[in-house]
Amino acid sequence: MNRSFIQSALLLAMLAATATAFPADESAAPATAVTASAAEAPAAEPATDAAAPVATPDTRALDEEIQAIKKDVVDLNRDLFVLEEELLFPANTQVAVFLSMDVGAFFALDTVELRMDDKQVTKYLYTPREAEALLKGGVQRLYLGNLRVGEHELVALFTGKGPNGQDYSRGAQVKFEKSVGAKYLELKISDRQRKQQPEFEIRDWE
Amino acid sequence: MQNRRISLFLLAVGLAALNLPVAGAEYRLTGKVAPDFALRSAGGTNVRLSEHRGDVVLLAFFGSRCDQCGDQLAALGRIVDTYQSAGLAALAVNVDDDQGAAAEFISAHRTSFPMLLDPGKSVARSYRVDNLPMLLLIDRAGAIRFVHRDYRSGQEAAYMAQTRQLLDE
Repeated sequence: MNRSFIQSALLLAMLAATATAFPADESAAPATAVTASAAEAPAAEPATDAAAPVATPDTRALDEEIQAIKKDVVDLNRDLFVLEEELLFPANTQVAVFLSMDVGAFFALDTVELRMDDKQVTKYLYTPREAEALLKGGVQRLYLGNLRVGEHELVALFTGKGPNGQDYSRGAQVKFEKSVGAKYLELKISDRQRKQQPEFEIRDWE
Repeated sequence: MQNRRISLFLLAVGLAALNLPVAGAEYRLTGKVAPDFALRSAGGTNVRLSEHRGDVVLLAFFGSRCDQCGDQLAALGRIVDTYQSAGLAALAVNVDDDQGAAAEFISAHRTSFPMLLDPGKSVARSYRVDNLPMLLLIDRAGAIRFVHRDYRSGQEAAYMAQTRQLLDE
């Protein structure tokens, strides 16, 4: 009984060892083939220029193959990302809130807090680099979520530094109707030159 | 008599288990992507971890009532000053409830890297901080690679070796 158990255990161990050994051999094979061809080629064709790498066609093919695999991985990742968003936020319930800044001479953005139907859904802290990107024309998707069809209220609270470098806090709110399609809202921070004050508005992208 | 011996043995084992250093326990986030966060620094600017992607990051958690925290921050300062140009960054996160004590500690232990404030402990929770000081070494791809849950004098050499390893990758 014990003997047969030991024998079967040894057999399993040997099988496992061979299973792990083979892939390693396979992966090592192309590398050795390349080095072998690189070593043999000069002997077969001694007249060729010494600086020219003889194994170039092989390595180029390998490089192209690697680049193609990398591209496939990137494409697959993008498709998965899109699929995930479609599954988590289907168009009939989707609501997205974007943030943009125009000029920004009277307001340095620090934090934006979003409250949807009196419930905080996000609070975002801006680094100097992010604020700069917004000032350069970037639009940030601040929130992506799901809402049922009907009337809803969005409140946005902006904090930062105001016109004289003092702490500044303002709010903006909008009531909107969520229909069957996706809903897009934009928070826009701009300068009101006449009043020398920043302006905060929420736009509904119809 | 034998029962008494067994109970004494069990008591000794229990006490030994209580005294086990936290550093020996397994850290579940090793090898995983470091959770992203944005915190306000003591200097007033906001700092986001993901903006350091591509750098090796030393992320230290500290508190004002921790004895070794000041020494560890000083050691990290020396390492950062040496390897900053090679792509090393450091962030120190304070987890004090008392912001006055935190400010006092920070002004007494000035560093060249940002000291961040986490009074709500949301970041400390996401990193499962269970001891202070705690240091995480994050590689250029943003994965947590090494964790130290205490600090003893002489440990700076280990930090340095691990930092160099990550910088060389």
